[in-house]
Amino acid sequence: MTTVKPILLAEDNPRDAELALAAMEEQHIADKVVVCHDGAEVLDYLYCRGIFASRQQGNPVVVFLDLKMPKIDGLEVLKTIKNDVNLKPIPVVMLTSSREERDLAQSYALGANAYVVKPVEFQQFIAAVKELGVFWGVINEPPPEGSDPIE
Amino acid sequence: MESVTQERPATPAPVRSEPVPDSNPAPTPNTGGRMEWFTHWSIERRVLAGFGLVFAGIVVISAISYRNTAVLIENSRLDTKSHELVQLLGSVGEALGAAESGHRRYLVTGDESYLTSYRTVVEQMPEYLRYLRSLTNERAEQQARVATLEQLIASQLAAEAGAIAQREKHGYEGVRHLALAGAAKNEIEGIHRLMTELDTAEQRALYDRVAQSAGSTKNTIALLGLGAFLQLVLLASVYFLIHHDVAERRRVATELQSRGELLQAANKELEAFSYSVSHDLRAPLRHIDGYAALLSKAAGEALNDKARRYLQTISDSAKQMGQLIDDLLVFSRMGRQDMLRTTINLDQLVKTVLHDLRLDLQGRTISWTIHPLPNVSGDPAMLRQVFVNLISNALKFTATRPETKIEIGAVRRNSGEAEVFVRDNGVGFDMQYVNKLFGVFQRLHRNDEFEGTGIGLANVRRIIHRHGGRTWAEGAVDQGATFYFSLPLARSLK
Repeated sequence: MTTVKPILLAEDNPRDAELALAAMEEQHIADKVVVCHDGAEVLDYLYCRGIFASRQQGNPVVVFLDLKMPKIDGLEVLKTIKNDVNLKPIPVVMLTSSREERDLAQSYALGANAYVVKPVEFQQFIAAVKELGVFWGVINEPPPEGSDPIE
Repeated sequence: MESVTQERPATPAPVRSEPVPDSNPAPTPNTGGRMEWFTHWSIERRVLAGFGLVFAGIVVISAISYRNTAVLIENSRLDTKSHELVQLLGSVGEALGAAESGHRRYLVTGDESYLTSYRTVVEQMPEYLRYLRSLTNERAEQQARVATLEQLIASQLAAEAGAIAQREKHGYEGVRHLALAGAAKNEIEGIHRLMTELDTAEQRALYDRVAQSAGSTKNTIALLGLGAFLQLVLLASVYFLIHHDVAERRRVATELQSRGELLQAANKELEAFSYSVSHDLRAPLRHIDGYAALLSKAAGEALNDKARRYLQTISDSAKQMGQLIDDLLVFSRMGRQDMLRTTINLDQLVKTVLHDLRLDLQGRTISWTIHPLPNVSGDPAMLRQVFVNLISNALKFTATRPETKIEIGAVRRNSGEAEVFVRDNGVGFDMQYVNKLFGVFQRLHRNDEFEGTGIGLANVRRIIHRHGGRTWAEGAVDQGATFYFSLPLARSLK
């Protein structure tokens, strides 16, 4: 692999974003992370428009999606991704504070690949983010780029 | 849907707004007091009373009308009899007259053909008299007259018979004086007088009866009219009562519905609230713990022991609050969550709980006594939580004992309910605090003695209440504790 595919982190709270980055720092994958601060920004990134109009083409290796975000919330972004033929293969991991059954059920129904509740305890949070980053960003083999999806 | 506060009010809030009379049931002098007993009646009783009154009215009026009609029929029967009597009297008078004049002609002429009428009368008289007696048999005064009449007729006929016999023996000369005046001159006068009396009395009776019948008919018509009016009034009041009650019920139903909607809205709000707590309240805690960790890492060696301990305390407090929030959310969810209703084998449930807790049991000497448990009806996940909490508690509070003894069993109190208990030989509790045991975040031990937030038994109580059961506990300091809960066996659940 010549180009490093980015990890997209959708997190409206800058502190959570900083803590997540601090966790990924330890795994030396922080430089792969692109942070979006709301749902609209995530979609701008994925469709290469707005402030991301000039970014390098290609889907992120994984999207970490917060549920509660300004403008467009996590579930809506998830719905858009999973309804788009080109974006559908991107693994989406819900990373949220909510333990509500309703959120879990809706996320999976819309096609989320994983659902992780952010632990309050920082050590656990670091562990979770590390594992997620390593698994989805390094271990997991992403879908081939530009391949025609079998419809 | 279930409200979060599981404590249901003992009685539903009064929704009837109609003026409720004084609690004192004694009749009050004011005009409303008389109907007081009536307004206390249920709709069924009111309707029953209304229909009872209508029925009684119909019965009374029918009885009177029946009696009146019977009188009319009786009068008409008597009238027929009277008319027949009057007619019969005429016939009898005529026949007797014919016989009398016939026998006199015979006395004069000796021509036997003049005796035809006389003989016919003699022949028919018994029949006439029997008929006469039957027509007057209901009136003593007329009967007395008929009896006298009978005697007079008999003596007239006898006198005539004597005269006829004499004519046959002695010829015209023997009966000349009789032929002119008639054999029974006296009797005939008496007979005429009596017959007139009979006729007059009968006519008078007829007249009286006509007057009585007319009065009774008028009476009946008036009564029937009154009865119809009364029934209309009663039906109208029964209708009014039913209508009033139906309207009241409809109003209550509408109010219940609007309250239900309010409750649903409140529940939704509560759900949104706990969602917000779950999401927003935990984030700052995560930040506190996270930045404390980052600070400790960044400052590294520069920090002295005291500063490190402060940072640790910040971290610990954040974690503790996170735990409290999580517990509160679970507790809230226990109250809202929809319940499943299936038959649960408690033996099996306890086995799986013990299996799940096996890691906590390592390195402990525990003597288990598990009695056979009944099958109950309820939500498996919720009841599993009950056993997890109670058994975990038993394990926690026996940790200081050299040998832990835990006993689980059930007592079947009555046909519909089972009482399950979990007993341990742990540190127990003072019975004076027993009421605090099941409260939210209520603890009887310091955190450094036994850890925990104090939500376990609150959850147990909430779950058992939602199943329609009760929870209670017995214990003594240093002598162990027993926690009980009751569950309906097969009855429908809340």
